[in-house]
Amino acid sequence: MKLNLGTIRSNCSGFNAIADVAVKTKDVWFDSIELDLSSCSFFEANMAAPLYAVISRLRDDLNDVSISNLPSGVSTILRKNKFLSVFNQPELTDTNQTTLPFKILKLTAGDQFNDYLDTYMRGRGIPTMSEALTKRFRQSLFEIFLNATIHSQSKAGIFVCGQFYPNKHRLDFTIADAGVGIRENVRQYTKMPKLNSCKAIEWAMAEGNTTKTGNQPGGLGLKLIKDFIQINGGKIQVVSRFGYYEFSANGEFVRKMDNDFPGTCVNIEINTEDTSSYCLKAELKSEDIF
Amino acid sequence: MSDQIKIKVADLIGSPLCISAEDGQKVFDKVEQLVKIGKQVTISFENVTMLISLFLNVAIGQLYGSFSEDSIRTQLKVEGLSSDDMELLKRVVDNAKKYYSNKKSYDDAWLEEDNNEE
Repeated sequence: MKLNLGTIRSNCSGFNAIADVAVKTKDVWFDSIELDLSSCSFFEANMAAPLYAVISRLRDDLNDVSISNLPSGVSTILRKNKFLSVFNQPELTDTNQTTLPFKILKLTAGDQFNDYLDTYMRGRGIPTMSEALTKRFRQSLFEIFLNATIHSQSKAGIFVCGQFYPNKHRLDFTIADAGVGIRENVRQYTKMPKLNSCKAIEWAMAEGNTTKTGNQPGGLGLKLIKDFIQINGGKIQVVSRFGYYEFSANGEFVRKMDNDFPGTCVNIEINTEDTSSYCLKAELKSEDIF
Repeated sequence: MSDQIKIKVADLIGSPLCISAEDGQKVFDKVEQLVKIGKQVTISFENVTMLISLFLNVAIGQLYGSFSEDSIRTQLKVEGLSSDDMELLKRVVDNAKKYYSNKKSYDDAWLEEDNNEE
C-alpha cells in the first residue's frame, strides 16, 4: 500500500494530513505500507512525534512501514533529528545543534526524559534562556509527559521531539502518544458516551478538571501551562482524535478535524527571548500556603 | 519520638525529581500517618530540582481529603521551595480545598451542556 504525505507543518492541516494516514490504514494488518514524501516540500521536525504515533500503531499491527522519495531538504531535517533512524536510515550530525531529537520513551521513563532534556537543552544551538523561562518550560514538559503516562493507556510509549527555529526565536517541543485519546477518558469520567473530541479537550483544558480516579484533586497542569504561554507569548496545540485545540496570546479556539488522529499530541511553542520573571505574587511564606 | 518531624522529600523518594504520582503518594502516606498522630511535620524540598503540580496534588493536595484546614495549617510546614514553587504549591492547595468542598458541582455544571457524537 502506498500513501502520499505532503508538506507537514505544525498546524491543523499538518495534523489532519498525519491523521489521514491513520484513517487510510485503519484495517490494514501484516502488510507493507510505503509513505511517499515526494510531494512534501517541508516537514517541521517536531511533527515527527505525531507521525510516529500513527506509525507505531501500524507496526503494532505487524505492518512493515517505510518512508520513500524524500526530497533532500526533508531528508536532512528528519535524519538530523534522528527520526529516520527508526527506519534504519543513517542519522546526520546536527551541526547547528538546534534539534531535540526524536525519541521513544517508555511510560515509566520520567528520569530518562529528564536526562534527555539535560543533554539537548544545555549549551547547544538552543539559546540561553532566562532561568525562570527554562524552569517553566521544563515544568510544562513534565506536566504533559506525566499526563501522557497516566492517561494514554498505551503500551507503545511516548514520542518526543523538538526543534529550535533561530530566525523566529521559537522553540517547539512535541509530546505524542498512540493511546485512547482525551475523548475516551472524559466520556468515561463524565458518563457522557457521546461527548465529542472538541468538547472533551475543552473540558480537559479547564482548571480543576481531571479524569484521574481515586478521589484526588488534579487538573492544574494544563491551566498552568496556559498561564505560562500567555505571559511568554507562545502557543500550545492539543490534538486528540477529531479535536484540534490551540491557545496563544491571541486567544483560543477548537476545531473539528476531518480525520481521526489515533492518540493525543501536545505541542508547545515558546518565545525564547522572553525575560519575564514568572513570579506574580509577593513572596509567600509557609504560613500563607495552607 | 519528637513532636517535630522533618520529611526530606528527595531522600524519601530517592530522587531530586518530584514528578510522578507514585512518589507523591509515598510522601502523602508518610505525612498522613504523622499528622494523624498529632505530630508537627515539616516537608523539606531541599535538593529537589523539578517539581510539578501532578506530584503536589497527590503529596499535599490530597491531605485536604483526610484533615481539616485547621489541622493542616497548625501541623504542617514546608521549606526549601523557591518563591515560584511556593506559588505553585499555593495553586495546588487552593485547588484541593475547592475540590474537596465542592466536588460534585464541578461535574454537574458540565453535564448540563448538550453534546453531539462525531
